[in-house]
Amino acid sequence: MANVKLINVEKKYGKSQTPAVCDFNLEIADKEFIVFVGPSGCGKSTTLRMIAGLEEITSGTIEIDGKVVNDLPPKERGIAMVFQNYALYPNLTVFENMAFPLRLLKTPKDETDPKTGKVKKKYEKLPNEEITKRVMEAAEILGITEYLMRRPRELSGGQRQRVAIGRAMVRDSKVFLLDEPLSNLDAKLRNQMRAELILLRKKIDTTFIYVTHDQTEAMTLGDRIVVMKDGYIQQVGTPAEVFDMPNNLFVAEFIGSPKMNTFKTRLEKDANGYFVSPCGVRIAIDGEKGDALKARNIQAQDVVLGVRPEHVSLTKRDNPSAIPCTIQVNEMMGSEVHLHVLTPQQEQIIVRIPTVSLDTYQLAALHAGVKIFITFRSKVMHFFGAENGCNLLADVACKAAMPTAQAPSAQSPAEEPKKKWRRMK
Amino acid sequence: MRDTSFDNKEVLDLDAGWGTAAEQEFDIESEDGTLVATAKHAARERESNAEQSVASAEWDTGFSGDGATRLSVAEKSAKEQRSKKKPGGQRTKRTVVNTIIHVALAALCIFWILPFVGILLESFRCESTGLAGYIWPKQWGIANYVRLFTETKFPRWFGSTLVMGFATAVVQTIFQLAVAYALSRNRFKGRKLLMNVMLIFGMFPGFLTLILLYTWMHDWNLTDANAMWGLIIIYTASSGMGYHIAKGFFDTISHSIDEAAKIDGATQFQIFRKLILPLSKPIIIYTILMGFMAPWGDFVMATFMANNASSGYNVAAGLQWLLTDSMKNDYYTTFCAGGVTVAVPITVLFMCLQKYYVTGVTGGAVKG
Repeated sequence: MANVKLINVEKKYGKSQTPAVCDFNLEIADKEFIVFVGPSGCGKSTTLRMIAGLEEITSGTIEIDGKVVNDLPPKERGIAMVFQNYALYPNLTVFENMAFPLRLLKTPKDETDPKTGKVKKKYEKLPNEEITKRVMEAAEILGITEYLMRRPRELSGGQRQRVAIGRAMVRDSKVFLLDEPLSNLDAKLRNQMRAELILLRKKIDTTFIYVTHDQTEAMTLGDRIVVMKDGYIQQVGTPAEVFDMPNNLFVAEFIGSPKMNTFKTRLEKDANGYFVSPCGVRIAIDGEKGDALKARNIQAQDVVLGVRPEHVSLTKRDNPSAIPCTIQVNEMMGSEVHLHVLTPQQEQIIVRIPTVSLDTYQLAALHAGVKIFITFRSKVMHFFGAENGCNLLADVACKAAMPTAQAPSAQSPAEEPKKKWRRMK
Repeated sequence: MRDTSFDNKEVLDLDAGWGTAAEQEFDIESEDGTLVATAKHAARERESNAEQSVASAEWDTGFSGDGATRLSVAEKSAKEQRSKKKPGGQRTKRTVVNTIIHVALAALCIFWILPFVGILLESFRCESTGLAGYIWPKQWGIANYVRLFTETKFPRWFGSTLVMGFATAVVQTIFQLAVAYALSRNRFKGRKLLMNVMLIFGMFPGFLTLILLYTWMHDWNLTDANAMWGLIIIYTASSGMGYHIAKGFFDTISHSIDEAAKIDGATQFQIFRKLILPLSKPIIIYTILMGFMAPWGDFVMATFMANNASSGYNVAAGLQWLLTDSMKNDYYTTFCAGGVTVAVPITVLFMCLQKYYVTGVTGGAVKG
C-alpha cells in the first residue's frame, strides 16, 4: 500500500555508457495499476528491476512510500515480484514455495533481560501456524489448494504462474511487481489469466507495476500506461488517452492492432477550413478535429496522417473522398477481416472490417486482386509533425528527447538485463 | 475504462452519410477495371469461375497442368524409384555391416574386460603364489585374502586411503562448489582473469610440484609414515581449481531463482544452501566421487611422499610394493586379492550414488 516515485532515474550498462533508461520521471499513486509497455529493449524490464533492487541505478532517486530506496537491498523495499519464467523453487513443494518468504521473515522484538534489565533486540521467526494460515489464504484466493503438496514440475504453466503470484501475495508487500507474467502462457490461457489478474487485483488492492510488450495486456489491465522506447518515456496516460490521443507517431503505431496506417501528406487550409489530400483525394477536416486545429492555429504544413485500420471504411466509387485501392491480402480472422490494400501511390494500408457487418457474398467478393474504395472521417484522423512525429493536437509538449520516434535505429542502445548476463558469461 | 466512441458502430450512428461496410453498399471492381454492380454478382461470378477451374484441373493430367502440379508429379516418380531400390540388396548390406560392427565391439569388450577377469581369477588361485602362465586357478580358495589382511600392511594402507578418500571428498566438494557458485553468480573485478589463470594452472600436471611439495611436507613432518596427512593437504589444496564442471552446471540454473529468493529475503548463503544445492545433486555426487577416487588411484605422489616408509603408503603404492622383484614370487596372488578388495568400496559407492545421477531435477523451475 504505497506510492512509488521515480525521479530522473537513469541506467547505464557497462563501459559503453549507453543508457538503457533515461530521464525516467514517474509518480505512481497508491493502489494504482500501472503498466510499462514497449518493444523489447526499451528499458521497461530494467526500470522494473531497478524498482525491485535487482539492478543498481546509475543516477536519480527511487522512492517507495516516501522513503528513498536507492541503496536498500530488495528484501527491505517491501516489494514482491512475479517473474516471466515463474522462478519457482523446483526442489520445494508448492506449499513450501509459497511459505519460503515467510520462513525467512524475522520480526524484531524487544526483550528485557530479567537479570540485567537491559533491553535487547531479538528477531523472531514467524510461527508455523501463522505461515500455514497465510499460505492457505493465498492458495484459496488463487484456487490452488489441491496442488499444495505437488512440486512445480508437476504443474501446468497456468498453475505455476498462480503459484508464483501466490508466493508474492503472502508477503503483504507494498508494491507488486510483475515482469511479463503472461508471456510464457499460450494465447488462450493468457486471456484467461488476464481476466483473473483483473479480479485478483480487486482482492489484493495494492500498488501494481506490470511490464509487458503486449499492448492488449497494457490496454486491458492498466489504470495508466507508460509507453517506452529506447529508454525514454513516450507517453503516460490512461488506455483511452493513449489510444485516442497518442503523443507521437511511435505511440500511435505501437498501441492498437493492427498498427495505425500512415500517409505522408500535407495539411492545408483554405476558406472552408483545413483539408488533407492523402493519395490525391481531398478530405475536408471538419467537426471536432477541425475545431481543434483551428483553436491551436496550426499552420499548413507537411504532416503524417494516421488512421487506425478499424476507422477506415469501405465506400462507393462515386464518393468524392473515395480512395481506390487494390486488395493484396485478405486475412480472415473470424470475427473480422483484415484487408491489406495498396493505394495508387503504392502505399500499403490495412483495413479492419467486422465480419458481422458483411453478408456472405460480400465477404466472398473481398479477395485479392479486386479493387475497393476506402475513405475515413476526419474525426478519426491523427496528425503528426512530418519532422518530429509529434501529435499536433497533443496537450503535452512533445519531448525533444525522442530522436528515433520515426526511424527506428538499427541497434537499440538499451539492453535487456538477460542479454547482459549472457554476454558476461 | 476505455472510451469506445470510435467504434465503427458509433461512427455510423453519428453520421448517417458515412459508414462502414456494415449497412452501406460498397463497390467492388474486378481486376480489369469493370465495375461489378453489386457484391452479390461478383461473388457468384467468382464461384462459377472457381467451379470451372476445378473442372479444368480434372481434365488435366500429369504434365499438362501448371508448374506446381508438374513438380509434385516429378517428386512422386522420384519417390517411387527410391522405394523400389530398398528391398533385397539394402537389407543384406545392412545385415553384413551390423555383423561386422558387432563382432568388432564384442572383441573390444573381451579385450577390455580380460584384465579384470584375470585379476579376479588369480586372486582365488591357491596352488601357487607367484606369476603363472595361466589364469584359470587349479585350486580355488580365499587364502590370498587372508594373507593380504594378516601378512601385509594392507589394512593400514586401505584404512589410510579410505580416510584420505573421505577427507578429500568432503573438503574438495565444499571448495569446488563454493568456488563454482561464486564464479557463476557473482560479478567482481578480476573474475575473468582468475578463471583464466586457474584454467592455465590446471593444465600443468600435479607432479611438476612434486619436489617442492615434498620439501614442504617434510619440513612439517608430514611425509614418510605420516604421509597420509600430507597427502590429504596436497589433494585438497588446489581442489577449487576443478570448479569448471560445477560452474557449468550452476550456469544452467536460472538466475531468476536467485533473484526471486533475494526478493523473498534470502541471503546469498541461504540461496546457495536451500535452493541451489538441493538442485545440484548430480554435480555434488560427481564431485564427491571424483574426490573420493583420487587417493585410490594416485601412485606417483603417494610413493614419493611415503618415501620408502611402507606404513605411509596408500593402496596403489602399497600394492605396487608387493610386486617389487623381491616380493613378486611370494605375493603376486595376494596383490591380485588386494586389487579386487580395492575395487569393492568404489564399486559400492558408485552403486549407492548412481541413482542420484538423475537429470531433470530442475524440471519445472522455469518454463520447460
